[in-house]
Amino acid sequence: MSGLDSLTNVALRPWPAPKKERLEPEDLLSQVEQLARERGFLRYVTEESLQEEIATGKDVTQQAAEDDEPGTQKESQTREDRLKELGTAKNELTTELEWAQFAACNALDLISLILSKDPTKTVDRSFSALFQAQKVPHASFGISKTVDLPSERQQDRDRIEQDGQRQKLVARGSRMQALDRATDSLLSAAKQFETEVSKEAEYWEEILSISQKGWSIQRLRREGQSSMFAVRYGLPEASDHFKARGLAPLRMDKDGAIILDPALTLQPKTLRVRISDKGNVVGTSCLPLETSKADDLAIENSIRLARESLLEEELYHELSMETRQLLAYGVELRDSTVHIPIPGNGANMPQRKILIDCVVRDDNDPPIHENHSQDSRAQSVAEGLRLLLAHEHRMRLFRRSQMPPPLTQHKRQKQNPPFLRTLLAMFSHLDAVECLQAYLESTIRILSSAGLNVASQVSRETAWESLTRKIESSTRKDLSSVDQIFEAFIKPFDARATLSLPSSSSLDSEQLHIAVRTLFNSPNYGTEFKVTLPPAILSALNIPGDQRRDIKFTSADEVGSYLNWVLSLDLSHNLLRRQNPTSASVTSKNTRITIIRKDGSKKIPKDIIVELANDQLTVAIGASPMLGGAASALKFTWDGTAGAPSISAKVKALLGGG
Amino acid sequence: MHELLLYGQVSKGRHEQVVKILAGVAAMQPRRVLKRHVVYKPQREPEEPGLVNKRGGTQSIAAKNTKQAGKTDLYFTQLVQRLTEEDFGSIVSTEQALTVEGLPKWTYEFNDLPEAGNRGGALVRMTNSTDIVGGDPHAYVTSLGNQFVSEYYIEGHLFVHENINIYLHRVLHEPGVRSLETEPKQQLPGFDALQPLDPSGAYMLEAKVRVQDINNTAVTEAAAEELRRFKTQMKGCVTMNIPDRLAMDTRIRYRPQVAQPPRKPAQPMTAR
Repeated sequence: MSGLDSLTNVALRPWPAPKKERLEPEDLLSQVEQLARERGFLRYVTEESLQEEIATGKDVTQQAAEDDEPGTQKESQTREDRLKELGTAKNELTTELEWAQFAACNALDLISLILSKDPTKTVDRSFSALFQAQKVPHASFGISKTVDLPSERQQDRDRIEQDGQRQKLVARGSRMQALDRATDSLLSAAKQFETEVSKEAEYWEEILSISQKGWSIQRLRREGQSSMFAVRYGLPEASDHFKARGLAPLRMDKDGAIILDPALTLQPKTLRVRISDKGNVVGTSCLPLETSKADDLAIENSIRLARESLLEEELYHELSMETRQLLAYGVELRDSTVHIPIPGNGANMPQRKILIDCVVRDDNDPPIHENHSQDSRAQSVAEGLRLLLAHEHRMRLFRRSQMPPPLTQHKRQKQNPPFLRTLLAMFSHLDAVECLQAYLESTIRILSSAGLNVASQVSRETAWESLTRKIESSTRKDLSSVDQIFEAFIKPFDARATLSLPSSSSLDSEQLHIAVRTLFNSPNYGTEFKVTLPPAILSALNIPGDQRRDIKFTSADEVGSYLNWVLSLDLSHNLLRRQNPTSASVTSKNTRITIIRKDGSKKIPKDIIVELANDQLTVAIGASPMLGGAASALKFTWDGTAGAPSISAKVKALLGGG
Repeated sequence: MHELLLYGQVSKGRHEQVVKILAGVAAMQPRRVLKRHVVYKPQREPEEPGLVNKRGGTQSIAAKNTKQAGKTDLYFTQLVQRLTEEDFGSIVSTEQALTVEGLPKWTYEFNDLPEAGNRGGALVRMTNSTDIVGGDPHAYVTSLGNQFVSEYYIEGHLFVHENINIYLHRVLHEPGVRSLETEPKQQLPGFDALQPLDPSGAYMLEAKVRVQDINNTAVTEAAAEELRRFKTQMKGCVTMNIPDRLAMDTRIRYRPQVAQPPRKPAQPMTAR
């Protein structure tokens, strides 16, 4: 309805004032300002109150001043005044806020309108409410240049000119300020650049010196740092965990010098080998801290110490891993120390143990025990273990470079490197060979004192004897000679010993062969003695000729007692029978032989018992089962002292006498 | 056993750089490899394809139609001899059966046609290799019914990276007409007299994983995965891909009998 339309489109405007009283907008503003200043507030101004004031002739400005003077009326008027003041302040606040909101909305609308030109930005919601109501299409703005007609009034022109000059001054001032700031920032940037350059130069110099000493440097990309290097000081073939530890980043401090990484400042460790005898430590190995060379930086010294410490730690780790597999041999890991009982059944090495642990490397810590008798042995054990680790690293590279076999579903088991096993094998084998050699020597002594001619020969290890020759003539180019030498130590050890039978003549000596084989793995699991019997003794032992003639033992004592038995058998059955061919006969499986002595016309069988035991050779007349009754046992003993009569003479004497 | 293969090309100028990169990848020094390949083919001529169906019927009485034997393929085989630098220019009789560094000197190798369809990104082919440790290899192969065709040399470097054999090599040959020879040379030419078969001197990079049983999927998958990883590792340095399988065909083609002088058949194993 048209009536409604007129209602909705009502614009409230004051009645247009007559022309001469019409106020321009700027005049109105100034009037409003003046009014506000005079009166304080414009809220309750109505036409009636203004007429009233004209009628009463009050001057508002003076009234404001007058109101201050009467102090007596102050109290009664305080409340109203306070209320008026509060109202005034409230109005001001509201006005200011409205202005502020207006200005902010204007700015927002302007920016949003400009941004709406960019099709990728969605600024629909960033317009203020009034603006959106106007539904201005996006990017609808333009720039036009208006030509300012010079204002007619002189004061306007002056004002404009003054404004222009002031603006020029302000512009110049701010430009100078900006240039000053720019110079300051450039100067400070230059200074910082200088310090950075000197830092980098220092850093690079140290890096170069480290790299020239042979350490391998690699680049690390870290956030924030431009050029960061790390030195790889670990061994290239170390096992996984230690290979990861072998890298230390080199950081700059504020002067450009290199900060020691925490990995490098750890106290260096070393492997310590102690030999204990019945619980007392009698020998220690030590690795003193070497003094740094003259032209080394401190960082290089610490890198070198870190690498050595890593090697020692890796060795200790491998040893402790291997201990688990060797629990059967008495090797145990107690209090992070590896206890290894030295295998030895002789009287010379009773309760010896090797203790291996990893301690902080210190120069000024001499071992506190008194006995240093086995120091050199402990030192050699430690050095040997380190050499074995180095060999293991080289073998890892060698094995890796071989063409791999075709893949099957069976994964290859990784075996522990044989450090402790080699050590145990060495001790055990040498000890076994020594025991055997001692036994053979004493036996020869006894037998030769009895006039018998026996010879023996012992070789400690067959591969070691021909080692130099084998290495010299080796044609393998892929393995260095050092590694080939080490291979000889990792293989099982073989020793050979021979003893000739006393009953054999020197022309066709029949020999007992004893082979000692040591391997701390299948199939031997220790030291094994294999005795091969010559054919001559087989008849005495009732072994048919086509059966195996090998017998295996596990200790030298067992071998000794068995050989005693065999030699006694040989002496009684073979030797004495050969010496008395017509009258001797074998009647029992024991070491006795029946010799028939002719006494006049009677034939008296006499038994000769030969026994080799306890470092003694005994020949005795024993009771013959055919004779019955107890016969006095006449006997004679040889124990290795020279000058005793030979066995044949003695037997004749015994036979003749008894 | 079966091999999974990937090939790449390296130009002559980049050879040095690629050797250094591979030494870094495999963390080992390159191992120099010099070999002589002697190619043999069976004396029997291959049958004409399609001839099988034209066989006549049997004269047996009411016998079931037994399946005619399918035609068998005939293949080229090779004798491979390991050489050292000193062997060139000297007399190396084929009778020597010494081992070189613990490896047998002569091997008799057979490579099958590679399978169609790759398994996870690698070419698969069956190979069989027999080590000859004694006697005269040429006489042995000839007695199996083969005849000599030609010989060529290979020089290169071998790296081993986990289970992959990385072989950077190229083929050399002695220039000149050689169609009159009937057995491998007794005296090897000097190393400088050999020229690359490819005049640009480019090298081939072969990555090979050997698998015992191709039907074992777990193992084959693991091997193919290793080759894929190697391929991404070499991305940017050498592009490895699967060559055309028919270029590695070692079968003997049927040649119709025409009055022509016999030509040498194409050398097998030239990768494009």
